[in-house]
Amino acid sequence: MPFAAALAFTAALLHVFNHSLFKSLLFFGSGAVLTATGERDMEHLGGLIHRMPQTAFVFLIGCAAISALPPLNGFVSEWLTFQAILLSPQLPSWGLKFLVPSVGALLALSAALAAACFVKAYGVTFLGRPRTPAAEAAVETDSWSLAAMMLLAALCLFAGILPGLFIDALAPVSSALIGARMPVQSGMQWLSIIPIAASRSSYDGLLVFLFMTISGTLVAAAIHRFASNRLRRAPAWDCGYPDASPATQYTAMSFAQPIRRVFGSVVFQAREAAGMPAPGDTRPAWLKVELHDPVWEYLYAPLAAAIGRTADRLNRLQFLTIRQFLTLVFGALVILLLVLAVWS
Amino acid sequence: MVLIRDLAIQGSQMLLVLLLAPLFTGFVRKAKARLLRRQGPPLIQPYRDLIRLTRKEVVLAESASWLFRVVPYLVFAATWVAASLVPTFRTGLLFSWSADLIAIIALLGSARFFLALAGLDVGTSFGGIGSSREVMIASLAEPAMIMIVFTLALVAGSTQLSTIAAFMSSSNVGLRASLALVLIALIMVAIAENGRIPIDNPATHLELTMVHEAMVLEYSGRHLALIELAASLKLILYVSLIACLFAPWGIGSSDASLPGLVAGVAAYVGKLAVGGFLLALFETSIAKMRVFRVPEFLGAALMLGLLATLLLFVSGSF
Repeated sequence: MPFAAALAFTAALLHVFNHSLFKSLLFFGSGAVLTATGERDMEHLGGLIHRMPQTAFVFLIGCAAISALPPLNGFVSEWLTFQAILLSPQLPSWGLKFLVPSVGALLALSAALAAACFVKAYGVTFLGRPRTPAAEAAVETDSWSLAAMMLLAALCLFAGILPGLFIDALAPVSSALIGARMPVQSGMQWLSIIPIAASRSSYDGLLVFLFMTISGTLVAAAIHRFASNRLRRAPAWDCGYPDASPATQYTAMSFAQPIRRVFGSVVFQAREAAGMPAPGDTRPAWLKVELHDPVWEYLYAPLAAAIGRTADRLNRLQFLTIRQFLTLVFGALVILLLVLAVWS
Repeated sequence: MVLIRDLAIQGSQMLLVLLLAPLFTGFVRKAKARLLRRQGPPLIQPYRDLIRLTRKEVVLAESASWLFRVVPYLVFAATWVAASLVPTFRTGLLFSWSADLIAIIALLGSARFFLALAGLDVGTSFGGIGSSREVMIASLAEPAMIMIVFTLALVAGSTQLSTIAAFMSSSNVGLRASLALVLIALIMVAIAENGRIPIDNPATHLELTMVHEAMVLEYSGRHLALIELAASLKLILYVSLIACLFAPWGIGSSDASLPGLVAGVAAYVGKLAVGGFLLALFETSIAKMRVFRVPEFLGAALMLGLLATLLLFVSGSF
């Protein structure tokens, strides 16, 4: 199945390339937020879209791209991966045959969770009202940083609407490593991408982008022409509850609560406990959330502990006398020479 | 000449879904009201509401940003493009190859992404609760939908909606267990995606149903009109999708003549009426479920889709 292999491999390479674009953009954006506010905790930010409109705009493009939304680039590689998965019933091995659709389901799940994650990240950091004075006093980042982010954002859009160019550019890697490549994409009608056959699947990021732009412009023109243009600023409605304090907004913690409850209770053993003092009691109410990350607890934490223990043992070598040091050096030299002699 | 004809058909499809969408919403409301022995609002009430909303001024929250004002247009554009790519009265639309079923689902995902952001923009607790629950529902509904697409694509050998619809209306489909599972899963996902009972209630926006209506609570005037129209378009999109996949009778083929097209439109309107009535019947016969029962409901849809896909991986004849 050389074609399926080429498709899957190109999809993987394109995905890595796309990640290099939007992840760099998002890291630059978080750096800009960090320099503007001195805060790394999302719960202390909010409302930055008013203070840093340009950073907010490019960060939004990065968020949409990483959430695999058309017409940006993240969607193209996800779409190609799905197309590769749909070829897998032809696989000869039964183990792979069952593994691949499950991986497809997990990919769909992780794309949806990534969208949820970036709605949270963008919504809590850039939208809403500022939660601290630091967020309120933020200023737009410098124009060099902005230019770098805008370049990456433009590349995200460019790779999303003209993916054929990038797929063709990756073809030599695919031919060199697995001896097959995807069909040449740049000659396709309307610059669409067709991995196998036009009757099977095709996607045209350029046309989708154009359609969205045209229909958006059409409706904006119609609204401008026929609808009322009046606009009045007023306090937020919020169903009639006036809440002056920005502390009543949804935080990242509260935004993720339903997802934590649905997905986190088995793997991450998420537990929640809330305490409400009796009426008349002046103590604050509290909420305690407990999460266990199995990767951290069973892989990283034992590894870090082992390194710490070894370092403690070796630490004794620092406090030797000069004679013992010389013996150590001499011994090490002899052992090294012996190893070298045995080796060659 | 052929190109002009195809363009005209694609354009008429776009206009057809746009014009029929509020009528369909009105029809479902009317049918529900009649089933409850109420008179109900007239069928054209959604059009009146939309016109009324566009005439009103926009009351914008003081903390709203530019994103809040752009989102209605983005949501409407993405939903309209998605809805105009689903075959309604004829398969083989001119631009159907530009986005396959996966891309249509992803376009709806884009609309939801931006709407959820708009819910957080003003910085009120109502918008937050709506967005938070919407992404929770989406995180289960989207994988379920992808599994449904996988099954359809494996049966029809294509992810192109036009090709799948043409395959479904041909005689070599037969009775398949996987398609039955997928139909149930698709109906469940469609109910959840459109925020219908038992997941959410489109008729109110207070305590009982704080998902979609809570998310758009701060919208008013022309912005609200666009969002309402986009919601109607999404509903008609899902009904058209189910109709063109599982009830493809009467849909015009890509070389249909003018009488064939008229018959296709008539069949489409008939299918919408049946679909709307069944939706109203289902909604009146079931109670709204608690928010944390929704994951079980959608998890069942996801499992049905996964089961159907795995069956097809075992053997293509299921």
